[in-house]
Amino acid sequence: MGFQILLHIGIVIILSPLLLGIIGKTKAFFAGRWGAPLLQPYYDIGKLLRKGNVYSTTTTWIFQAAPIVSLAAVLVSSILIPMGGLKAPFSFWGDIILFAGLYALARFFIIIAALDTGSSFEGMGASREAAFSCLAEIVLFLDFIILALLSKKLILSEMIMRNILSWELFGPVLLLVVASYFLVLLTENARIPIDDPATHLELTMIHEVMVLDHSGWDLAYILYGAAIKLFVLGALLVNILIPFHGLPAIVQFMVFWGGMIILAIGLGIVESCMARLRLNRVPQLLTGAFVLALVGLLIILVKGV
Amino acid sequence: MWLESALILIILFGIIILGNNRLSTMIQLLALQSLVLSITPLLIHPSIHAFTMTIVTIVLKVIVMPSLLFWAIRHVSIRREVQPLIGYGKTLLLGGFLMGVAFLISSKLDLPDKGMSNLLVPTAFSLVMIGFLLLVTRFKAITQVIGYLVMENGIFLFALLLLEKTPLLVEMGIFLDIFVGVLVMGIIINHINQEFGSASTVNLTNLRD
Amino acid sequence: MELFLLLELPLLMAMVVFLPQKNSLRKIILLLTSSIHVFATISLWQYPRAVRFNSFLGFDAVSQLVLNCISLLFFVVSIYLIGYLDEKKRRSNRILISCLLGLLASMTLVMMSRHMGLLWIAIASSTLLSVPLVNYYRTPKSIEATWKYLLISSVGIALGLLGTLFLAISATSINTIFLDDILNNAAYLSPSWLKLSVIFLLVGYGTKMGLAPMHTWKPDTYGEAPSPIGALMSGAVTGCAFLAVLRVFQICFYAHLKEFVSPILILLGILSLGIAAVFILGQKDFKRMLGYSSVEHMGMLVLALGLGGGAIWASLFHMVNNTFAKGLIFLVSGNLNQIFRSRKIENIQGVIHRFPITGVCLIVGLLVITGFPPFGIFYSELLILKEALITHQYMVGLFYLLFLSVIFFGYARIILSMALGQPTEGHHQRVKKENFFMVVPLIILLFILFFVGILVPDAFYNLINEAIALLGGK
Repeated sequence: MGFQILLHIGIVIILSPLLLGIIGKTKAFFAGRWGAPLLQPYYDIGKLLRKGNVYSTTTTWIFQAAPIVSLAAVLVSSILIPMGGLKAPFSFWGDIILFAGLYALARFFIIIAALDTGSSFEGMGASREAAFSCLAEIVLFLDFIILALLSKKLILSEMIMRNILSWELFGPVLLLVVASYFLVLLTENARIPIDDPATHLELTMIHEVMVLDHSGWDLAYILYGAAIKLFVLGALLVNILIPFHGLPAIVQFMVFWGGMIILAIGLGIVESCMARLRLNRVPQLLTGAFVLALVGLLIILVKGV
Repeated sequence: MWLESALILIILFGIIILGNNRLSTMIQLLALQSLVLSITPLLIHPSIHAFTMTIVTIVLKVIVMPSLLFWAIRHVSIRREVQPLIGYGKTLLLGGFLMGVAFLISSKLDLPDKGMSNLLVPTAFSLVMIGFLLLVTRFKAITQVIGYLVMENGIFLFALLLLEKTPLLVEMGIFLDIFVGVLVMGIIINHINQEFGSASTVNLTNLRD
Repeated sequence: MELFLLLELPLLMAMVVFLPQKNSLRKIILLLTSSIHVFATISLWQYPRAVRFNSFLGFDAVSQLVLNCISLLFFVVSIYLIGYLDEKKRRSNRILISCLLGLLASMTLVMMSRHMGLLWIAIASSTLLSVPLVNYYRTPKSIEATWKYLLISSVGIALGLLGTLFLAISATSINTIFLDDILNNAAYLSPSWLKLSVIFLLVGYGTKMGLAPMHTWKPDTYGEAPSPIGALMSGAVTGCAFLAVLRVFQICFYAHLKEFVSPILILLGILSLGIAAVFILGQKDFKRMLGYSSVEHMGMLVLALGLGGGAIWASLFHMVNNTFAKGLIFLVSGNLNQIFRSRKIENIQGVIHRFPITGVCLIVGLLVITGFPPFGIFYSELLILKEALITHQYMVGLFYLLFLSVIFFGYARIILSMALGQPTEGHHQRVKKENFFMVVPLIILLFILFFVGILVPDAFYNLINEAIALLGGK
């Protein structure tokens, strides 16, 4: 058990920045550039880890604790989901709430750290983040409810395992779930079209503006945390989308990692094709995601499981 | 399975129309919705009758009516809904709520034909409600017509429940009436355009007590 | 033969009128067609009541009653149009006349249809055909009125279609929606779908009738449409919609759903009366006031229907009188419009001093629509009150009386000042005397009102009795 957890976390730690690298490469390809190397996120994080921290005199311990807490929270969340042939090392009845709660915890600390700086820019970002994630969380839970109804389980890893049956009977519903979950994924990870991770114009940013005051290894933790978040939520999407469970371990392994790479490329394509939405259109998009999930739920309720 | 996928696709188009504000996109989405709609008779009960329905629907709802709507807005310069009565996010939420109501109502009704998908009635109700919402909350004349047509699409789905029972003659009469209705609406929108220089019903507030 | 004269001839003529170049020729075609229609309608009296042309088309006492009213009113209006359209010589009246004839055909189809789907088709086409009529002047205001009318009644008839489909779903076991089959097998209808269907049909056809709260198009449309068109719409087209409501009521009666439908009808009726009372009081525009008056009378029709029993007789009798009274007063308003060039009540004063016939008709019209004793509407209003009281629905009776007295006050204030007040100078110098063709119809209508409302000939009395027997009245 201990070894499994370590293996799981190790894989996540080692491979998650690679996902960002693939996205960057794809975007560069679509822009007609050669782009930064695939391992660039590792270099960035390594560089930051080697630097010292600068703290503003107005900040308190919260500002220093936030990066560590958020990184720890998302790392813990990764042990709740299966990855390819590897089963989830840790799971219990109702762990979907823990899963969502860990993300809420990470977000909470980032937000109060942003408020801790006393800067109006960061406060603005914090309020946007809070508002949008509020909307996203409802959608996430609706999706979980649908999956739980379909599988009659409240355990994240087993909910996903049962998908192979659900896809035959409830394919359209699961497509709705995937579509709305994909929008949640974009919001949670501050990707285009919700937010642009590359922008540094304070007025339009959501996530980036909150971490402007962090530096050194704190910033490295935050970047790492973001990469892991993308990895874990992406892994969940692949798990929902591809009903590969029950196949031989080697096939599962290949399907899962292939799925992750395709997901990263897909994200890169989405980001290349779309422009960032106007800020006031974001809630509309999330409401759309909510309605999609709601329709899925209604269909399940009408058809009965 | 295919039928249900089609029905969910129809609802999805409805939701997207509700959240959209570009007139031309809305018309295109409506045409797409009608296209999926026109295939459903074949999915429910493949027969000559259903085939006729499909052909007529494709010609009227997918080709003629959208082009009529495009014709009606050909001179309109502002091609998006300017300011709806309630915001898009709220409209979407309200739409979601109304869909819940639609599903609730449908669960109280027993289907005449047990073999049919039990998604058909809720989908039809949802479309009627989405159409009604569009009609009530938007000011552009063309959006109101689109709302009316979404509503008609919902009614069409209800008619599919009776596919094997209603005589073709009456169905064709109904089609013709709806078509002429939209034709007249298109012409009046044209009049509104000429008279007021825009197809917004915000201008139409002179008559009141 | 009657089938051809009633239904196909107007339809044929609606196309034929596109051929001649002269406006006057078209008006003659209109007059001829409508007089043939009247004769054909009268010749129906020689058959036994339940005429069936084929499975889709036929008559019973109810529809024959409504058909008589509509046909006569249409004939009178077509005489009036000869004088009225004279003024607009420059414009081609091709579309107007064609749509009028089409409207006549579609209204006849409403009367004839023995199939609920066909009934819907007929009602929908009567709506669509009246749209170009409303938009005749093409001023910004009339476009606005047309748009509201088109949109609201389209939604209404869409809901009506939904109701028709629900009816068909509830009739799955008998597998048809021919009216006769439904009535004969009413016990086999699925109740939940039937109730839903009744609600949708009432809302849909109620919109077409102009019942509150779906009445909002009515004052606008009647205000902006040419007056003879207003006469047709408030007299005849609403009559068609009322026939549709009667069919729904008939189905409910046979399916033992009277307890379900009656409160809805009473509610709609009282609401319409209330809305009309509020808006007629203080109304400044004569024709808009007539729109609200139509809301009031439609409300009274369904209220009477909802009360049931003896009030059903009152409902049908009221419908007949309302048709001709509305025709009369709208035609009077057309005369006033041409004389004064205004619809504002303050500009129209002292009609009786200069134009005695129009003025007398105005006052008589007032007396009729407010239900003054010698006329039929007084009798039907009294019967409705009586039914409310003997069924112990005192609240209904109370509101009914209250609203009626408010409405009466509103009417009297407006029309008496128009007819008897001091004539203002300047407005009406151009028109020296009333056009012959615009006076004769008024006199015909006065005569009809007197004849059916006060004398009540036996044949007519029997026809109403046969009709209410079909509706479960006493």
